[in-house]
This record gives sequence, structure tokens and C-alpha cells, in this order.
Amino acid sequence: MAESKTTITVSVNGTEHTCQVAPRTLLVDLIRDDLRLTGTHIGCEEGICGACTVTVDGELVKSCLFLAVQADGKDVTTVEGLTPKCGTSRLQESFRGNFALQCGFCTSGMVVAADALLRENPDPSEQEIKEHLVGNLCRCTGYLSIIDAVRAAANQEVTS
Amino acid sequence: MNAHDSHSPADSNTGPEPFVGQSVRRTEDLRLLTGQGMFTDDAVVVDPVYCAILRSPHAHARIVSVDTSRAQAMPEVVLAISGAEAAEHWTQIPAGMDLMDMKLPKVYAIATDKVHYEGEPVAAVVAETRYAAEDALAAIDVEYEPLPAVASVEDALGVHPFDAPDGPWSPKAVLYEEWGHNIQCDWAFEIGDPDAVFASAPHVVSCRPAAHRYSGVPMETRAVVAEYDAGRETLKMRVSTQLPHQSRTLIAQILGLSEPNVQVLADDVGGGFGNKTQVDAEVIPALMAKLSGRAVKWFEPRGDWLSSGPASRDYAHHVEGAFDNDGTLLAIREHLVGDEGCDGATRSAGLGALLVGGTYSAGPYHVRSYKARVQAVVTNKAPYGAYRGYGKETANLAIERLMDTAAAKLGIDPVAIRQHNLVREFPYEMAAGPIIESGSFSQLLDMVTEAMDLPALRLRQEQARAEGRHVGIGVISFLEPSAGSIPMSVFNGYETASVRIMPDGKAMVLSGLQGIGQGVETSLAQITADRLGLHPGDVRIVYGDTKAVPYGLGAYASRGATYGMSAVYEAAGEVRRKLLKAAAGMLEVDPEDLELGRGEVWVAGVPTTRLSVQEVARAVYLSPGPYATLPGEESPTLEANHVWTNPNVSWVPDEHGRVRLYPTHGSGAQGVVVEVDVETGEIQIEKMWIAHDCGKVVNPAIVHGQIIGSTVQGLGGTMFEQLSYDDQGKLLTKTLNDYQLPNIMSVPPIEVLHMETPSPITPLGTKGVGEGGCIGTPAVLLSAVEDALREFGVTVERTPLDPMRVRALVRNAPQTAPVAG
Repeated sequence: MAESKTTITVSVNGTEHTCQVAPRTLLVDLIRDDLRLTGTHIGCEEGICGACTVTVDGELVKSCLFLAVQADGKDVTTVEGLTPKCGTSRLQESFRGNFALQCGFCTSGMVVAADALLRENPDPSEQEIKEHLVGNLCRCTGYLSIIDAVRAAANQEVTS
Repeated sequence: MNAHDSHSPADSNTGPEPFVGQSVRRTEDLRLLTGQGMFTDDAVVVDPVYCAILRSPHAHARIVSVDTSRAQAMPEVVLAISGAEAAEHWTQIPAGMDLMDMKLPKVYAIATDKVHYEGEPVAAVVAETRYAAEDALAAIDVEYEPLPAVASVEDALGVHPFDAPDGPWSPKAVLYEEWGHNIQCDWAFEIGDPDAVFASAPHVVSCRPAAHRYSGVPMETRAVVAEYDAGRETLKMRVSTQLPHQSRTLIAQILGLSEPNVQVLADDVGGGFGNKTQVDAEVIPALMAKLSGRAVKWFEPRGDWLSSGPASRDYAHHVEGAFDNDGTLLAIREHLVGDEGCDGATRSAGLGALLVGGTYSAGPYHVRSYKARVQAVVTNKAPYGAYRGYGKETANLAIERLMDTAAAKLGIDPVAIRQHNLVREFPYEMAAGPIIESGSFSQLLDMVTEAMDLPALRLRQEQARAEGRHVGIGVISFLEPSAGSIPMSVFNGYETASVRIMPDGKAMVLSGLQGIGQGVETSLAQITADRLGLHPGDVRIVYGDTKAVPYGLGAYASRGATYGMSAVYEAAGEVRRKLLKAAAGMLEVDPEDLELGRGEVWVAGVPTTRLSVQEVARAVYLSPGPYATLPGEESPTLEANHVWTNPNVSWVPDEHGRVRLYPTHGSGAQGVVVEVDVETGEIQIEKMWIAHDCGKVVNPAIVHGQIIGSTVQGLGGTMFEQLSYDDQGKLLTKTLNDYQLPNIMSVPPIEVLHMETPSPITPLGTKGVGEGGCIGTPAVLLSAVEDALREFGVTVERTPLDPMRVRALVRNAPQTAPVAG
């Protein structure tokens, strides 16, 4: 017997979706499996690594700790939603210019989290960047290039 | 940092600036930054089912019975299978390595009669959703008969080998009854009569450096998407792996499939660090696809990764050094014992790391008398795998702690005793066999101490001590052997490349390497672009598809810059020769008069006489075709294959039993300043310095990123990360909350100093890079903490350097020092 399902309406990256979800479905599974937005990754399902970071109504959320039904009636933004139709955002370009990614698995969550920081604090200090990104783990870069990338994007001094 | 992604305008009469040596922006990044990467679980397949694996709650137990009937009856469950049922459909796991008389467990990917660690698979399920599959695990009934758990080397042998190297052993239990004991490999080697040197040496010092259990922990766990086509008897698998070809070989063998019928795909891999160099649980979803007839998706839950993924380190040295009065190192005796968990050769490949540790314990220092004994011991813990460093960090910890110990005992400055003993003439054949082909060890150590301003730091340290603060300084050297080539294993010593210019004048490179975050698409394109006169953006790098790429060996042992780049360089050189030959014919000049660059070929000094590479390519392939453009050429298209091997690899043991498994040797030096709070045991890392030399650098920004990244991994492992077990072999660190990865707050300022001493044995002068920070960081941190606690007279030999251990060191110190107040 399959689980009973609930109908929710959720806006993801500006597109409204009406979905049938089981009550225990995690937001990250709705995003990845049902909506096929696979930029959002699953690294731990414990809320530690941040690879699944998205925003819900502008607030940063670890979508592995958030039920899909909690997103009913809300606006969800993933890394795909932060990407311009053509090319990349200033922040994404700054990550590229500063070699702030290697394997790229954490990168989507990192970009979403950094983007949220710059929205509320356009000129963060190094300490503020660190405090803001402490919930996003990266195993490859050692973080220093990520700090550089966020600062460079804030300064609008994207290296070219 | 300066990044370039456009061709710099250049006078057409001079050759364009090469792309090799420039921080060309990474090709990989556009897709990865925009959420368009293709990690294994991102693949969409038709009508998938989801795999979940039931794992043993016991570290050591007999399986009495497994009943999957309740799970099988659940509505969304497609198939539930026990180890005994699975054994009818596959073979035991073939060993990834089999040398040095190592013992090999005979085990299936799902246990049949016995479990050897908490987390070993005992049954598997596929169901319509991941949720249903995980639910069904709870409905599988397994009856176990628990056995005594072997949770330590002492449990495994009854006595520590440092006290009784040859036993007699009295194990608490034996993991594999047919062995009769718990030693997977016992390897000994000596040269230069070390015992005699020790007997007459003015000074003998010894220490027992040791490291705890930790691992690579890539952000993407292991993952598989498997599709089996019964009509064609073909299996298509996406696998998060560093070794697509060897995975195909092993998976085909296990499932009894013809190897050409198996395709392994690995596009984007979310980190490897050595941890994805085996076939273990990966074969379970493949079998489930074959048996269920459905496409199967599996990604490993993080808790499963921590309980059953490849673990590393967990070793102890007893290393002795014989020294002359002036600090000259005369001989080394090294005894290395590793706690491998249940296996380091079949289910994963960590055993070789211990052999590397025993081989390289002289590090970058000159010594002619050398003796090593390596004992690899099995216990009831998860398998022992490869992890960044792969024994080079093990060796480094031994020699660098020995140098500090000797410096203190002989009253010599720790930097001076290192400088005194560093190898200065190259090529240098180590006593243990490897040939260090080139290096600038002494200069690297100078670079670090000058950047640190060591005299000023020592002054500051004295002032701090006067204030009751405990500042410590560590300085070490390290050797970074790269491109490991292990005979009788899936980690062999060659790489393939196929390079071709297409009719549109753009190039395609098929490489046996595997991308796992090192930027191989970018750096291989830089090399090819220079060879073929193209822009890197016009070079397409293909890897990670066994159906497209010649048999190659993938990503391990920092082999890309040695094997992978050299294979591409040579293949591209052959294409270049044919391209110039064809162009020369078309321009009616001699090939030697031609120059190549920016997508064009022209007559030197006559820039108006030129053809585009596209025009030449079109002529060779189609109009008029190869009969006219490359007459007499044996293989008359713009394509070439190359398999690169290295003469400095020697697999045949010489008269002393020595082999040479690493052809290239990077090196470096590291410094650190720490402050220890003796009240809380906390260590504040003020700053780190690292001078690094990996030969010719192809992409400086990528190399820089490898050095920083590996340093932070070394720091994390030394300070925070722990795979911690209780005395019953139960894992205590089952989540990332417990297994503390370094986060963005953990990282101190790191100053990197680069130098390039080209390797004479690679065509570009490159050496491997990527492991250096993991190799040197544990030793430099131990050194600095010991220095900080010098007035307590403590020896700092073991990791982790967590507050508990630091407090214990201070509490149990032989001397009491004034405590900071």
C-alpha cells in the first residue's frame, strides 16, 4: 500500500508547481526527484554539510531537514534559480575566477548560501563571510578561495 | 590570483605564449556552478527502483539466518535478497592487489556466513521509492551469533608487536579462520647492515609516532545507477569512482558478464581522495538491476559511508635513528604496525599505504643503512582504504618526529639538523630503492624559514613564555612521491591517451584519467592546445566512459601530472607531426619551416603563407583526403594513441628485494605557529607556511588549490576528524556531527611558496601534486605542539591533537611548568 499523498503548491525558481507528496517527503527529494533540479545535492541528510542548501521565502534552508509539505505556498530558490538565462551570475563568475571549487559537489549549496549573504549584507567582512558559511562544508578547497570569491563578488572586482 | 581564459593577442611573427603555465580558468566550472553537473545520482533513468542495504549491527558475528520474506511481501518492494541468495549469482570480491604474500579474505559483497565489521552488508532491497526501500530493511530478520570483537591490534595479536614482533600471538578471536592469525601482511627489508651501524653509533634516538583512524570523507558518498539489458546481456553503470576501467573489470568478473558488455560511466565525481578506488558495495545495486530487470539507483547514506567506507591511518611506528655527533643520520630502523580494520587488499586498497610508509621513512634525508618491518593487522572495523597521502604521510610522521627527537637529544637546532641531512644531489637512489629524480629540498626549507622570519618568531615565543603563554613553532620537510605504480594490482603504472583533430579543426582527447575535482579537463586541454596550436576552449577532453576511452587507470596516487599528462603530450605530439606534414604538403614547404599557433599554421618568417588548422584537417579527412595529404603515412589521419610508461618504475625486486613504485617525487617544507591553552587543551593555529615543488606547473591556480586543500585535510585529520570505535568494535562517530570535518572557521591563514624543479623523466617536467599538505601537516602540527609544551618536557607523538589529549599531556607531564594565569 503506497503512502497517502498531500497536494501542495510550491513556487520553485519562479515556476509554480502543484505536486502530490507523501507527508514525509523531504524538500530535497521533491526538488531533485520530482522537479529534476539536480543542482541541489545530498551529502549527509543530517543538516551538517549544506550541499542541499536552498532558500524558502528568502530564508536559507537545508532542504534535507525540511519537509516538502512545509514549502506549501512558499517560494523556493535553488542554484538553478540564481543562474541567469545566459552565462553566470557575478557571484558564480567570482567563484570561477578565484578557483573556489574543485569537485563541485558542495558548490551549489555554497553559492546559494553566499548569495543570501550578499543580499542582506552587500559588503561582508571576512569574519562575517566565515560565520555565514560555517554550515556549508567543502572537502576540496580548504575554503580560503571561497572566502576570496565572496569578497571579490562583494567588491564587484571579479577577476578577469 | 590572475586568471586567463582568453588567448592573449600576440605578434603573429612570434610564437604565441604557451597555455601551459597559465592559470587558465576551469572548463569544469560552468556546469558545476550552475547546477548542471552530472554526479552519479543526478542521472535520470526510466522507471527506476531504489536500493537500500541492510548492514550488520555487530562487529563480529556468525550469521545464523536471514529471512527476507516479510520485506519481500511489502507492497512497494520489488526484490529483497540475502547474502546466501546473492552468492548464487556472483563471485567473491576479487582482490584489488595481491603481492608481498598478502593474505586475501574470501568474501562476498553481501556477507554469507559471517560479518567482520559493524556495517558489513547482510541483505539488500530494491523498492519503488528510497523511503520504501529503507523501510523494508527493518522487515528483514537476521539472526546473529555474536563473536568476540577484535577492536585493536592488542586484541588481534594478544601482544603488541613492538614488544614481541614475532609473537607468539594469542588473538582474542581470528577474523578469517583459514589464516589462523590476524596478520594480513608482514613485510621486512634491510640494506646497509643497519644493526651494525646502530651498535657503533654515537647516538641512538627513538620515538613512537602514531596516528588515529580517519579518512577522506568526500562530500558525495558512493553512488551507483545500474541498468541491465537482458536481451543484450549488457550492463550500463554510472559509478562514483576514481577507477572506471578497473571497476568495469572487477564488476564484470563478479557478475560473470563479458567485460565488453559492461559500460562504466563517471562524469562528475564529488570528491575521491583515494576513497573511491575499490569495488565493494557498488556491485550490490548492479546485481539488483540484473535480478530485478529494473534500473537501480543507490547512493550511500552518510551513516553507511562512515560505518563501512574505506578508513585510513590508524598506525603506530617504532622508529629508531642512529646519529653521529654532528647530527648526521647514519641508519634508520623502522617498525610500522597498522590497524587495517577487516581488510586492506580485497574490499579496499589501504594495505599498500603501509608498505609505502615502510619504504619511504627516510623521507627527503640521506641515509644508506635502512631496515623496515611492516605488519598489517586485521581487526573488526570497516575496511582499510586509500586516502590522500597513502603512506607518504605515515613515513613523514616517522622521520620528522625522529628529526625533532634527535635535535633535542643532540642539542642541535631542529632546522639545522634537517638542513644537514637533506639530500642535495640528484638523481638520488634511496636506500629503500626509489630514485628521487630531482629536487630542491634545502632551498624549500630555506624558503619556509625565511618567509616565517624564524629568528623573530623565536623571540616572540620567548616573550610569550615569559608571559606564561605557550607558543610553539614547527618546521618540517616532506617528500611527495607521486604516480604510484603497484604491480599485481589495479593500481598499475601506465596511462593511455587518444588525441585527434576533427575535420572542423577542433581537438578531442580521450584520456584514461578520471576527473574527481583536480581540473583534468582544463589542464589536459592546456597541454593539447600548446601541442596542436589551438585554444584550450577548442579541445574537448573525454574521460569516465569505458565505452569511449582506451583502457586506462584513472585517478590515484597523484598520477595525472605524470602519467596522464605525459600520455596526452606524446599522443598530441604525433598528431602535431602529421598535421605539420599535411600542411607542409599543401603549402609546398618543408614541415620544419612551419610554425603552429592560434589555430593556424604558417611559414616561419612568411606570415602571409598560412592555413587554418581547420583547412588542413578538412583536407586530411575529406577534401581531398589522406591519399593526397598524408601519402605514405601508416596511419594517415590526424589521430594518435599513446600509452605512457616510465623507466623509473621497477617491479622486479633487486638483490635486496627492493622495488621502485613511484617514478616522480615532489617535495616541500612546512612551518606553523601555534598557541596552546594548557588550561583548556585548545590549540590555536596562528599561521601556516608551505613551500612546494611539483616540478613544472601546468596551471598555477589549480596547483595552489591542491596545496591548500590537502593542507586543510591534513589539518582536519590531525585536529578534529575521528573514526572512533569502542572496545567492542562499535563505531561511535556515525554522523558528520560526530566526525568533525574542518569548516570555514577552522582554517588559519596559509602562505604558499612555489618553486619549480622540473622532473627529468616526464616530457613536460611535471610531477604529481595534490597530497603534499596531507603528508606534511600532521608532522608539523605535532612538532609545533611539542615545542609549545617544551617546558613540560612532554613528547607529542600521537594524533588527534584534540583538547582531551593535550590536557592529558599537560596533566601527566614529567615536569610542571608555570601555568598561564
